[in-house]
Amino acid sequence: MAAWLSLSLILIPWLGALLVWRTGDAAPTRQHALAVAFSLAAGVAALVLVPLASPLVVFTLPMGAFFGELTLVSDGLSTVLAAIACMVGALAVIFSVDYMRGETQLGRYYTFVLLFIGAMCGLVLSGSLLFLFFFWEITALCSYALISFYNDDPRAVAGGVKALIITQVGGIGLLAGALAVFASTGSYQIADLLAKAPQIAPGLMSVVAFGFLAAAAAKSAQFPFHTWLPDAMEAPTPVSALIHAATMVNAGVYLLARFYPAFAPIPGWTFAVMLVGLASALITAFMALTAMDLKRALAYSTVSQLGYMVYAIGAGGVFASQFHLLSHAVFKALLFLAAGAVIHGVGTRDMRQMGGLGARMPLVRVVFVIGALALAGLPFFNGFWSKELILEEGLKHTPWWAYGGMLLGAGLTAFYTLRMTWMVFFGAARSERHAHDAGMAMKVALVALAAGTLLTWLAVGGFSGLMEESLPYHQIHALGLPGLVEEILLAPATYGALGVMALGLALGWLLRGRAGVSPPALVEGLSRTSFGFDWLNGHTARGVHHLAALLQKTQTGQMNWNLFGIMAALAAVLLVLWWSAP
Amino acid sequence: MSIASLTLLIGVLLGASPLVYLLGRLAVRLGWGMWLARGLALLAALAAWAPFVALWQQFAPTGTRSLFFLGNLWMQVDALSLLLAGMTLTLGTLVILFSGAYMAGETGEEKYYAMLLAMMGLIIGLGSAGDLFNLWVWFEAMAVSSYLLVAFYREQPASLEAGMKYLTQSAVGSVLALLGIAVVLGQTGSLDLDQVLAVARTAENQMPLLAAGALFLVGFGVKAALVPLHTWLPDAHSQAPSGISAMLSGVVIQAGLVAMLRALAALAGQAVTWGALLLFFGALNMLLGNLLALRQTQVKRMLAFSSLSHMGYILLGFGAAWWSGSAAGAQGAMFHLFTHMLMKGLAFLSVGALMFALFHHAVQQRPLVGDDLNGAAARYPMAALALSVSLLALAGLPPLAGFMSKWQIFVAGFQTGDGMVMGLVVFAAFNSVLSLGYYAPLVNRLYRRTPSVAVGAGGGIPWTMQVPLVILTLAVFVLGLFPAIFSG
Amino acid sequence: MTPLDIVLLVAVLLLGVAFYGLLITRNLIKMVVVLQLLVKGVVLALVLAGNVGGRAALGHSIAVTVIVADTVVAVVALALAVQVRLRFGTLDIPGISSLKG
Repeated sequence: MAAWLSLSLILIPWLGALLVWRTGDAAPTRQHALAVAFSLAAGVAALVLVPLASPLVVFTLPMGAFFGELTLVSDGLSTVLAAIACMVGALAVIFSVDYMRGETQLGRYYTFVLLFIGAMCGLVLSGSLLFLFFFWEITALCSYALISFYNDDPRAVAGGVKALIITQVGGIGLLAGALAVFASTGSYQIADLLAKAPQIAPGLMSVVAFGFLAAAAAKSAQFPFHTWLPDAMEAPTPVSALIHAATMVNAGVYLLARFYPAFAPIPGWTFAVMLVGLASALITAFMALTAMDLKRALAYSTVSQLGYMVYAIGAGGVFASQFHLLSHAVFKALLFLAAGAVIHGVGTRDMRQMGGLGARMPLVRVVFVIGALALAGLPFFNGFWSKELILEEGLKHTPWWAYGGMLLGAGLTAFYTLRMTWMVFFGAARSERHAHDAGMAMKVALVALAAGTLLTWLAVGGFSGLMEESLPYHQIHALGLPGLVEEILLAPATYGALGVMALGLALGWLLRGRAGVSPPALVEGLSRTSFGFDWLNGHTARGVHHLAALLQKTQTGQMNWNLFGIMAALAAVLLVLWWSAP
Repeated sequence: MSIASLTLLIGVLLGASPLVYLLGRLAVRLGWGMWLARGLALLAALAAWAPFVALWQQFAPTGTRSLFFLGNLWMQVDALSLLLAGMTLTLGTLVILFSGAYMAGETGEEKYYAMLLAMMGLIIGLGSAGDLFNLWVWFEAMAVSSYLLVAFYREQPASLEAGMKYLTQSAVGSVLALLGIAVVLGQTGSLDLDQVLAVARTAENQMPLLAAGALFLVGFGVKAALVPLHTWLPDAHSQAPSGISAMLSGVVIQAGLVAMLRALAALAGQAVTWGALLLFFGALNMLLGNLLALRQTQVKRMLAFSSLSHMGYILLGFGAAWWSGSAAGAQGAMFHLFTHMLMKGLAFLSVGALMFALFHHAVQQRPLVGDDLNGAAARYPMAALALSVSLLALAGLPPLAGFMSKWQIFVAGFQTGDGMVMGLVVFAAFNSVLSLGYYAPLVNRLYRRTPSVAVGAGGGIPWTMQVPLVILTLAVFVLGLFPAIFSG
Repeated sequence: MTPLDIVLLVAVLLLGVAFYGLLITRNLIKMVVVLQLLVKGVVLALVLAGNVGGRAALGHSIAVTVIVADTVVAVVALALAVQVRLRFGTLDIPGISSLKG
């Protein structure tokens, strides 16, 4: 049963992708219907699979000598993430029925969205490092294709290629790590790696651990790879919600969580993970303070929240990170989709041209506020519980300055969330644009996600119980709902954190009138260049081009020069041989 | 039995070549349709599959090399020669089918098919040569047939220029290889690959044999396009008819590599030295090929430079195998030889199909540049998809064939446990990422909504050109999902 | 000096002249001539190698084969050169370098 369900999570969306593609753009209604049907079917299958979680390999397919076996493991970690991917996927597809109505090349859009959902499920379900990487790369491919969906816009193309290249550069860490593990243990199986980790040479193991950290940071847009996600916002908004908020960017956090038991003993690893999380959370929270583009503001906040999850893993709180991942996936998808409804209605992403939209789209305002409150971490939305859990782990297991930094981040989050919400929905309208309300399909998706934002934290008992039972190496202890409530509400740290958030909110409220004013040049410059890292990316790219231009001069097209190349190579080889001969 | 199958395999192709030419000339003189010559060429290529399959069935169960005399030529059949034969037949058959419409009406069409068939037969012969001089003769004959194919558009200055450069460089290369043969003959008194190997191992003075190896490396390396011997390749690949570009990139430069490996294998006493040199040239090829491809505006020229970088991956595999004595590297490299043939063949053929459509059959009027392909997907969904798939596969993205073959090479590299080889694998991975910098934007162009002028005014693509694209696209997917098919 | 030494000397001389010629020749026809020089040097080397290795007959037969094969190459090269002269109006090598970069 679990075997078929696991397999179907990959194959149902892929079959849907094939059918949508073959349907052709001449029949958009059928394309919408097929996409919704197949993504919903995958969502149902994923929900059925969750309670069946077990640490066992449920499916095995031998792939040949160099490729090991493709195995699927549906344990607590993977089934929950697969369920998030499929459910948010289904809702994003439903939302797209309105959002993408009338777009050309709808087939390409849905094909890649469905391909992505299947690949994301494969990524988390895979029990083999090779196929983890295989699906990892397919998600990158889909992400790139969808960011550049509006190919005529050079910014969309540049954003897509940038996202692809940066995540792939980090992916080399995963590639090298997987190869090193296979070369030394002869197996790609993740379970084998976790079991044999203590016997593997520490030097090799630290290469693997830090390689995986690089891959995770690149995939989750963490420091120093945080530059690609804001530029990825050229994608259609449902894609931003699905891939760049709720699922693919979580893959990095997933990777760290999955291999935590093997890597935690490596000296310096948890500290490095914590630092990456801290730096990402603070830098991007700072950038979100001054963003004028609604989607970019949300993207910064995504990186920042992912930073919290990474920080949690650095602090040893694997469950806390996954719990926040669940909360964040739901409320950030909600925020993005609500933002999509706004952008669709108003026709711009610039928050300076919005304002007072609540009057025209009351439902969107309600759900956006729900999402915003969860993002800010106010009780009793899902973001509150999970963020407090992370902060508590941080207080217990990380240095005071790191904890202080994360608290500051929480304050900043509250501040920019209020600013963003205010600029879009409240105050007076700042432009003549006529906004139209969201369509029916959009509203269905929004309401479902809003309900999720209010309720998912209730599943803490089941989620942690599943992880305790099905992850033999992680030593996670089930945390029931009463336990969670007790732990959070009785801890004095919670009230300290709430105080910081209240401070952020108060500051945001006082400064709400100045939200549209351009920030000082230094702040603006830091934000625009992602604290200098965009500048670095640009210069690396230009450096490569300069080197290429230099080398291009060697291709002179002169026959004598070409022949000289042959002579010179022969002379060089002979010299080397003569010089190195015994 | 092998002897009959191999003779038949080469014989069918070489025998059909003059017949096709004759039929074509008659067609020109007597006003018959050229389809007779085309059909005979296709038929010959298809007929050659029968002896190939027989040969494969004889070889596969045991996996042992068979040696025999053909007349007074030493021939051998092993995995490498079968691989080369299989690659040549696969791509050759598809190219002949593709060329039917592509080359229709060109002056000298009959020569095209005759030369193509001859080249296929000669490459298969090269792969099965059992002694050094025999190897050289096949190699030289193959080279001559390819000169004529590269310079096929003789009304076109650029095509002539490319052909002339190719000929000169290739001729110098083959003379150097011949000099290497002379040294080996003088030192060992034999040219038989096995005997040379036996004598060379025990030779007191290794220096002359090392020099011979250097001559083989550089001499055959011209054809295999090792950097810095590669300068002819971008010109030749971009100026040849698209079907020939596919053959050059997918099979001919690989045949040069096979010749080099065969010759060096006879001097395998120094395998570690050759392994190190192959690794070094592999790194150079990857870097230079990728960086120069990044700067190209002409699509076919970009693909030509990408062939350089892929030769680098293949060299990495073989180099790792010789450097550390692991068979895995060679298997990975052979897998990549095969997938590269599929991917690059697909890339050149789909670009050819698009040129054919956009330029209304007048394919040689000007080079195809990236801007011409803007929005091509709307009108040419199949060709655009094929090109996209081939480019993404070349970049090594799953679930396409290039991912799996690169992975196999990388695994072999890590299994050697050698720091330098592992470093080179990571270097190769960085190169794969770098290559996305030129593959990905080209894919984006194809799917733009506003078509270029050329696409707006373009004609159709006949089914004979679509079929090879479909077959190769499917193959790229299938090998990406089920790589075990190849190892079997 | 034995006869073999003389052959060796001539072969090396021919090769040296040819290598130099490859680098400085600026005319296509002359380039074909240089290629011929190169091949002839190697043919001498082959004959010599046959003698040294104790396989004189093999050396000779190879030499003849090479000469034949090389004549074909020379013919093709000259045919191309004729076409180049027709289309470019020149045989000057620097003048036929439109493909670069």
